[in-house]
Amino acid sequence: MLGMRRAGKSSIQQVLFNNLAPKQTFYLESTMRIVKHTYDTIIPLEIWDCPGNISVDKVGASLAEFSAVIFVIDIRDVYNQPISKLVEFITAFYDVNPTVNFEVFVHKAEKLQDDDKYENFRQINERVNDRLYDLSADYEQLPLNFHLTSIYDSSLHEAFSRVIHKLVDSLAYLEHLLNVFIANIQCPKAYLYDVKSCLYIATDASPVDAATHSLSCEFIKLLNTLGPLYTSTSGTPIWSSDGDSALSSSTSVSSGSSDTTSLATKARKKALFYPSAATTTQTGTTVTYHLITEHLALLSLLPTVVYESRRGIVEYNVVFLREGVQEICDAEKEARIVDSGTETVKNT
Amino acid sequence: MGASGSGKTSMRSLIFSNNPASLTSRLGATIDVEQNHVRFLGDLILNLWDCGGQDAFMDSYLATQRSTIFSHVGVMIYVFEVESRNESEMVYYADCLDALKTYSPESAVFLLVHKMDLIREPKEPVFEARKKQLLDATGDTVASIFGTSIYDESLYRAWSQIVHSLIPNATVLSKHLTTFADACSATEVVLFERTTFLVIATSSSSQSQRSALDPTRYERTSELIKAFKYSCSRIREEFHTLCVELDGFTAVLDEMTKNTYVLVIIHNPVIEVSAIKLNIAMARRKFEELQRVEHT
Ligand SMILES: Nc1nc2c(ncn2[C@@H]2O[C@H](COP(=O)(O)OP(=O)(O)OP(=O)(O)O)[C@@H](O)[C@H]2O)c(=O)[nH]1
Ligand SMILES: Nc1nc2c(ncn2[C@@H]2O[C@H](COP(=O)(O)OP(=O)(O)O)[C@@H](O)[C@H]2O)c(=O)[nH]1
Ligand SMILES: [Mg+2]
Repeated sequence: MLGMRRAGKSSIQQVLFNNLAPKQTFYLESTMRIVKHTYDTIIPLEIWDCPGNISVDKVGASLAEFSAVIFVIDIRDVYNQPISKLVEFITAFYDVNPTVNFEVFVHKAEKLQDDDKYENFRQINERVNDRLYDLSADYEQLPLNFHLTSIYDSSLHEAFSRVIHKLVDSLAYLEHLLNVFIANIQCPKAYLYDVKSCLYIATDASPVDAATHSLSCEFIKLLNTLGPLYTSTSGTPIWSSDGDSALSSSTSVSSGSSDTTSLATKARKKALFYPSAATTTQTGTTVTYHLITEHLALLSLLPTVVYESRRGIVEYNVVFLREGVQEICDAEKEARIVDSGTETVKNT
Repeated sequence: MGASGSGKTSMRSLIFSNNPASLTSRLGATIDVEQNHVRFLGDLILNLWDCGGQDAFMDSYLATQRSTIFSHVGVMIYVFEVESRNESEMVYYADCLDALKTYSPESAVFLLVHKMDLIREPKEPVFEARKKQLLDATGDTVASIFGTSIYDESLYRAWSQIVHSLIPNATVLSKHLTTFADACSATEVVLFERTTFLVIATSSSSQSQRSALDPTRYERTSELIKAFKYSCSRIREEFHTLCVELDGFTAVLDEMTKNTYVLVIIHNPVIEVSAIKLNIAMARRKFEELQRVEHT
């Protein structure tokens, strides 16, 4: 992640991957040197948070080693300096790593009203392209993408998700599974999310609209926070099959006198248990949540009447999707072990 | 009540109008008294007076409008900014207490030490010092005091207590919730007011199990659901129900009566969500009746 000082790079990293409340980013200290953060999801990420004044030769690694570059630019900063910096990096990357995904986050977008927001976005986009074109027509080939982002809403999650999609080799297979899933249960939209960061790893072929995306994002955040509130803080289970209180269960288990069949059922239930949830709105939409792997969850949006009348079909298809996704994840992992002698980590 | 800028209108807009904290900076100073009627539980209507805190208004509340402002008060909520040290504020506060004693001697008093988010950790000593100062100024009047901020669940904790003190027969509700919890094999059942999502009452059995749960869970649930409701409204949807089967517990949040939502928390993995929903459906009539009886 590159960009001028105070553009919001550290905030982006902290909000997405360290669960920092957006308002708390106010207290973040200025980044003085490159900080590398790792994050493990369907692919392992290594995110380099670079200081604002970094120059091309100070990156400390060959530019060829990066899979993606995110350049963060304050939306009110339509002037020369950040744009020159951006152009400098684009041209440097183009020389050694012309296929790198170059992503520009036009950031702090919530600060402006809609009209100014789109106008500034357009200006930044245009200025960068004009500058590049002046330098050489070759640069038109560069895959350069612009996103409007803000840590205060799900626009940041959407933009970062799109960055990750380009790095996941198995994306097409995941998308295919989701397409089959929505066709089978006739639901309009399904996402596969990384639960901790609220980034979606894949979605079906229908277009992503901000409304369903933000609703599913907010739903995951709700579940992430709600979970710990009603699970035991002390580690002792709240409920046990052979006693009314948590206390009596822990004593009976340790004395070895507990009912073995009920423990066996419990263990079996545990092995097959995948958390799930659903929320409905007054207008008749249901958002479902099914955990698929340790990190990933399936979110689907469908009419409540459909959900209620086809609950069985939905659950049945979730099982198949889960098997498919798990196989893909295993294959990803294996592939990584195989070539772990060479380059293993995707740098961003 | 409270000095201008202390955050009264902000908290009102969060709790009663479902606005997010980020929009409060756009609020202008309140001119005179803004009244709100909020239908709470059945026939219980909360009549909320947000009194603009600029000196000119305070002077008039305490002089010419004295009997109008201070008669028939159920609770007086006085908001103090945690960082402000203002002598005239304490003079107004003392005078308000005095007027309250004359015109509504039965009224409860709540003191909110507000904008707690602005002070650095450790917050506890700062709060304790301010608490001591305020309670000293309160004299022999009984007052409850809370540290609050619009940016976290503390606001919901304070306001749940405020509302709770206004609900007649809250214990009866709690008793019925306990019966309902037992019927569902629930660890606990929580009743929320529908628009504010403030906690009205909770079941009271399974004490030993509940003590293992996070003690801030009620206010944090209020805050969470309010935030989710706001996200729904931003895309022109309106929140309706929630069911979760997570690792460790099952929960259903659904409408109980016209003005309330019920949250049923179950730790027994054998119990299915649909059974809980059925139980809620069957309990609705009873709780509607309860509300009607209580307020007539
Ligand atoms: N940091 C912080 N700011 C807050 C908090 N609550 C309110 N504010 C801010 O304080 C300012 C004043 O809030 P108001 O609610 O308008 O104050 P008021 O008490 O109604 O003032 P008058 O109507 O003049 O009496 C706003 O800019 C709010 O955003 C809080 O908990 N923390
Ligand atoms: N309004 C707004 N402020 C933001 C946003 N993202 C970051 N900031 C603020 O911008 C400031 C600088 O952020 P920081 O992450 O330290 O910038 P860095 O130097 O690029 O790492 C902080 O005060 C953040 O709170 C955003 O989306 N909207
Ligand atoms: Mg006001």
